[in-house]
Amino acid sequence: MAASQAAPHPVQAPRLHPDRVALSAIGLGGLALGAVSLTLALTNDAIGSELGEPLVIALLAVWITNAYLVGGLVAWSRRPESRFGPLMIVAGFLMFVTTLSWSTKDVAYTVGQAFDVVVPVLFLHVFLAFPDGRLHGRFERALVGVGYVTALGLELVRMTLGGFGPRNLLEVTTSTGAGEVVRHVQLLTVSAICLCGVGVLAVRRRRSGRPLRRASALLVDAFGLGLIMIAVLLTSATLGAPWVNQIRWVAFVTIGLAPLAFVLGLLRARLGRSAVGGLLIDLRGEPEPTDLRDALARALRDPSLTLAYWLPEFGSYADLDGRAVSLPEPGNGSMVTVIERNGVRVAAIVHDASLQDESELLEAVTAGAGMALENAQLHAEQRAHLEELRGSRTRIVDAGRRERQRLERNLHDGAQQRLVALSLELSLLEERLASDADAQARLTAARREIGASLEELREIARGLHPAVVSGHGLAVALEHLVAGAAVPVRLTVSIGSRLPEALEVAAYYLVSESLANVGKHAQATSATVEVTRRATDVVVEIVDDGVGGADEEQGSGLRGLADRVEALGGRLRVWSPLGGGTRVRAEMPCAP
Amino acid sequence: MRAVIAEDSVLLREGVARVLGDAGIEVVAACETADDLLLEVGSRTPDIAIVDIRLPPTHSDEGMQAALEIHADHPGVGVLVLSQYVEVGLAMKLLAESAEGAGYLLKDRISDVKEFVGAVERVASGGSAIDPIIVSTLLSRRRSDDPLDALTPRERAVLELMAEGRSNQGIADGLVITLRSVEKYVSSIFDKLGLPSGGSESRRVHAVLLYLRS
Repeated sequence: MAASQAAPHPVQAPRLHPDRVALSAIGLGGLALGAVSLTLALTNDAIGSELGEPLVIALLAVWITNAYLVGGLVAWSRRPESRFGPLMIVAGFLMFVTTLSWSTKDVAYTVGQAFDVVVPVLFLHVFLAFPDGRLHGRFERALVGVGYVTALGLELVRMTLGGFGPRNLLEVTTSTGAGEVVRHVQLLTVSAICLCGVGVLAVRRRRSGRPLRRASALLVDAFGLGLIMIAVLLTSATLGAPWVNQIRWVAFVTIGLAPLAFVLGLLRARLGRSAVGGLLIDLRGEPEPTDLRDALARALRDPSLTLAYWLPEFGSYADLDGRAVSLPEPGNGSMVTVIERNGVRVAAIVHDASLQDESELLEAVTAGAGMALENAQLHAEQRAHLEELRGSRTRIVDAGRRERQRLERNLHDGAQQRLVALSLELSLLEERLASDADAQARLTAARREIGASLEELREIARGLHPAVVSGHGLAVALEHLVAGAAVPVRLTVSIGSRLPEALEVAAYYLVSESLANVGKHAQATSATVEVTRRATDVVVEIVDDGVGGADEEQGSGLRGLADRVEALGGRLRVWSPLGGGTRVRAEMPCAP
Repeated sequence: MRAVIAEDSVLLREGVARVLGDAGIEVVAACETADDLLLEVGSRTPDIAIVDIRLPPTHSDEGMQAALEIHADHPGVGVLVLSQYVEVGLAMKLLAESAEGAGYLLKDRISDVKEFVGAVERVASGGSAIDPIIVSTLLSRRRSDDPLDALTPRERAVLELMAEGRSNQGIADGLVITLRSVEKYVSSIFDKLGLPSGGSESRRVHAVLLYLRS
């Protein structure tokens, strides 16, 4: 797979970069520590009587140590920018530290015993910090903080109170009664904190608001179960329940299984590469750009996945319809991966954050989809241009309408008023010249000329802008058109109150032109005009029962009306079968 | 006879005031806005308000609204609406309840001084004045089985003048026929259109316009 052609770039900047030597050293160190734990367990006779079969106990401890170490190493090498790997490694080491309490040496015993209860809190910390290794929010930090203080602090207090035997270097006095009380408080508090952790995980799972990817959902469930088992174990130890040893087994196994689930999840990512094959088959059929998202979501097993295409001319991301979108901020469980081809930005995939565990899969999928993504990017770019054109057409038509409205207003306030006043003046003059028949006749003729001019001006003004529409509304204006129509027209206007002016004007001209056509061409006996406001649009429909055969393009004036309607985001259609009447229907969007 | 004028063009406001003054009609107030008009009508109780349909501030329907308000609230005050355009829809709005003391004319009609003063006097005394364009627009519509087809040309001419709000005497003068023939034509028209005859002239206008519109 040519990763250089379509290399995904995590937006997050990398931080700690572990090198191979460091990772190997940690791995080998883990093995060595495992051997130490094993030796300690087998050489201390006391363990057998306290905890059961020493070999099994030791093997379980070694298993947990190494499972967390290995899981941590894998996580760290795959996601160097996440703190989750290092955190797991620390958990593994601390598990080892607690096995020092099996030592016969006083110092080692004291250190190991001091950290005995810290381990469950550290597991809580690990589980809550999945997947980025950070605790989110004050509550989580407080929970873990109180956990550490309780686990380590109260253990130290308890050790000063004695009751641990001669190897305890911290013993100051021997007060086993007080020690027991402290132990109860400590274990119950840590249990409660673990149960709170389960609550946090449950809330997080629910609040993510979108289906978590299946692998990570399983993992979160495993963490929750681990925490419940810790709580049960600590509580039953406090209550001195008889089956405490059995519970301990189950708890250890559960906790030990969590990193196994984690590593298995990472291995599944490798298996997931077979999904790339499926993707390539999907893409071979040159799918519609709209299907590309689904194909990628399937291949990456992330139903929440969305795509944003980079439009270099607009300097922004857009969806497939060319509408600008902004990428989500990192966090909230989603992540952005930018796709480039030949060094040019093509698109961004917004996906579940847990996909960063599977960077190879992401890389393979994006490389496989590179060509299809580029096609979709072109599609989005085209749509964006179209949107832009539509917007500018709307603005041009709107500016035209305003200009015509202004001209109509000027005519009305200027020339028309002056001509009326002039005609009145002539009329008064005519009266004064009653004795001069010739002058009177000429003045009458002049007044008739002015009357004709006024009539022409009225026609021009109405063509420029139907003032009656803006002044009195569509229903009133249509009544005049219908009254003056060549055939009887049934008019139905159901629009509630007023509509946006541009829409009313467009509807007015549409009816005016259509009724004129009915008079001129249709040879109809009747017609209907209906204007209906629906949920999101307005429908204007003019139907006649004439001869049909009208052609939208044939100079009927309907083309210009179609432009007007389309500039408002609507569409105009004409049905005019020969002999079947004519139906003109415009649907124009109108916010409710 | 007392009149209030509302017209925002100075030229026309003064022109109309002069024409009315010359005809012996006292112009008690000449206003520029619809609000002023309503105040003046309320305080001076004129016989007629002459209203430009387009008045400030928005020049949309302020004049029309004021006219409708006066027509509804002051039955004693005639309302004559003047406009650069005449619209059937607006005429019907103005005459929705009654044509008594209501008029709607194109502004051009002012310059035919005698006709205009006649219309003002008619509306002021409870009659009507409807622009010929409204009437001819309503008459232009053809219907199948149209009872109007049964009218003789003379009857049709009488119908038009009747719809404009003219009195029988006015119709007789306009067509140069006797008052008696006008009365004969009128009752024949009402018969043919199936309208109940009788009643005042403005009631007659109302009935005819509603008939033509339907």
